[in-house]
Amino acid sequence: MIERRIVVTNRLGLHARAAARLVRLASSHEAALRLERLDNHAAADAKSILSVLMLAASRGTELRAIAHGADEHAAINAVCGLFAAGFGEVESEQAG
Amino acid sequence: MNKQVRKHVTEERWHGLGVSDGRVVGRVLRIHNGARQVYRATLDDADVERECRRFRAAVRAARGELLAIKTRAEKELGADHAYIFDAHILMLEDRKLIDEIESFIRLENANAEWAVKVAVDRLLAVYAEIKDDYLRARGSDIEDVSQRIMAALSGDSASYRKLTRDAVIVATDLPPSRVAELDIAHARAFATDAGGWTSHTAIIARGLGIPAVVALRDLHDQARTGDVIIVDARTGDVILHPTEETIASYRALQTTDRPPVSTRLAQAENDAAEPPPTFRTLDGTEIVLRANVELPAEFGNVRKFRARGIGLYRSEFLLTGGGRVPSEEAQCQAYIDVAQSAGDGGATVRLFDLGGDKVGTGTAASERNPALGLRAIRFGLTHGEILRTQVRAILRAAAQVSGLSIVLPMIADAHDVRSARAIINQEMANLEGEGIEARAVPVGAMIEVPSAVWMAGQLAHEVDFFSLGTNDLVQYLLAVDRGNEAVSHWFRSLHPAVLHSIRSALRAAQSAGIPAMVCGEMAATPAYAVMLIGLGATELSMNATAIPRVSRVISGINIDDARTIAGKCLGCPTADDVEEIVRVEYSARWPHLFSPESLPPPKTEE
Repeated sequence: MIERRIVVTNRLGLHARAAARLVRLASSHEAALRLERLDNHAAADAKSILSVLMLAASRGTELRAIAHGADEHAAINAVCGLFAAGFGEVESEQAG
Repeated sequence: MNKQVRKHVTEERWHGLGVSDGRVVGRVLRIHNGARQVYRATLDDADVERECRRFRAAVRAARGELLAIKTRAEKELGADHAYIFDAHILMLEDRKLIDEIESFIRLENANAEWAVKVAVDRLLAVYAEIKDDYLRARGSDIEDVSQRIMAALSGDSASYRKLTRDAVIVATDLPPSRVAELDIAHARAFATDAGGWTSHTAIIARGLGIPAVVALRDLHDQARTGDVIIVDARTGDVILHPTEETIASYRALQTTDRPPVSTRLAQAENDAAEPPPTFRTLDGTEIVLRANVELPAEFGNVRKFRARGIGLYRSEFLLTGGGRVPSEEAQCQAYIDVAQSAGDGGATVRLFDLGGDKVGTGTAASERNPALGLRAIRFGLTHGEILRTQVRAILRAAAQVSGLSIVLPMIADAHDVRSARAIINQEMANLEGEGIEARAVPVGAMIEVPSAVWMAGQLAHEVDFFSLGTNDLVQYLLAVDRGNEAVSHWFRSLHPAVLHSIRSALRAAQSAGIPAMVCGEMAATPAYAVMLIGLGATELSMNATAIPRVSRVISGINIDDARTIAGKCLGCPTADDVEEIVRVEYSARWPHLFSPESLPPPKTEE
């Protein structure tokens, strides 16, 4: 199990489009992926769009990403990359 | 679900608001988008597994539909709007939702419909607690998805993607997500219970050049798929189960109308290779005709109908994808596309003309009076980052394509213009400082608020051109809400106050030596277009599909006649008097151009 801290940097936060990309990406990995808000400990399954949307993570929200499973390194790198890239709102989409 | 065969049918009539042009005899295609009544049933234990399978099959069917819709939406509305369907697809794939529904079916021996309703209601209750406005609004996406499952469960899934050739779409309302799944290119007409002149249904219908009548109250309840229906957008009449005589009389009217859209499109396509023609009145005065454009699906019409570029690009369409403001890069590309489809005639981009309710800023406190509220340029100046992103995108696009200009919506006076220009200049300087290629563009003002008409003389020295938005001008000048049927009798485009306002704005532009263009819906109606020309307009912008009929009339009139008639109308005390002059003078001078029904009807009452 590995974990990493990430910050929501894109302007609109984890809204429908960003959430859809995140869920697609997370679902392409075998590892279980959890996101937890550092401020209020709300948590979400990164493979469930309804759960991710309910995190209500706006710009600047700090999160902990926790991956657990065979490809946990690949999974967490991919997800952190997506957050760092501002969810492709600037371009470059990862294949889901 | 339970479709009763109705043996005796009598002709039923509705009167609504016609929001486009033309009339059609066709067959109803009824589209569900309201909430359905859901009942609880208790299943025998033996039936539970079968119910789960039925539910899973419905989810698969719904998902298949959404995948097809998404592909179509990407093509017709642009990728930026299709992403919302991706979110819907993921909701259908979401184990959290699917498992909860299945376990409810098992635990409660419930029917699938009831299980879906309970699970979705629970989710919606959680969403309702979310503080962020935009995210809370995602509840409507969940509802949309649940209704799609319900439709699949009841078996009447969205087979309406393959429209028959005579399909008249009947719905309570047509939000963009519903429109996106329709084979809209084949729809013959729209008839909706809700909506107004500026609703999406109306805009799309005008873009497609098909009849649409809105504000029909309960038509959707009464109509059944397959019923014969007449939709007359010219009068706002809708007739269900018309008698043979009624149909015959409408068919007779249709033959005197312009040819149907398909023929016109084919004809226009043949001509598309030629450059846009110059339209002139009989005496040789040139009248420039441009296109109003919103949907990417309409871009092709600019060339098809031989418009001199795009006089009005309603950029709000870029925001209809669920409240997300597209990135600077995405917008820049969109404006390049707009300019390229406009060709040499250029394209005028109207900055976002809407209020906080349409943009996911989280500031959408409901306003008591949105038409007079924080919208258009006021919204842009208040939410500087949205305005700046748009301006930067336009300036960057202008470095790559020629002919772009900006028009500022809802300008009340020179102060609005100066504030907006200051931001445009700052962003131009910023881009230069950042080493990003950009080019300054002409900046114009929409003249649509009465104060701007009064101040037009001064305003004309602060901008590069005027653009007269007649829809809003009429609404603000006469204090009449265009979408409110109760006051529709007071909405008079030919009111003398409107004519005076248009003339004085055009004169102000002329004496300051700047171009002025009239770009409201008035320009698309031949009788009104002639009036505008008589008032001094030489540039009109309209839905491209209206160009053939307007240009035909222009080439048959003398400008002096148009001026004489307009002059008489300016002296009238009421709209009725103006309409009477128009009716009498037009039919006397140009009987070959104006059939009696293309003119204001004679006043029989009041």
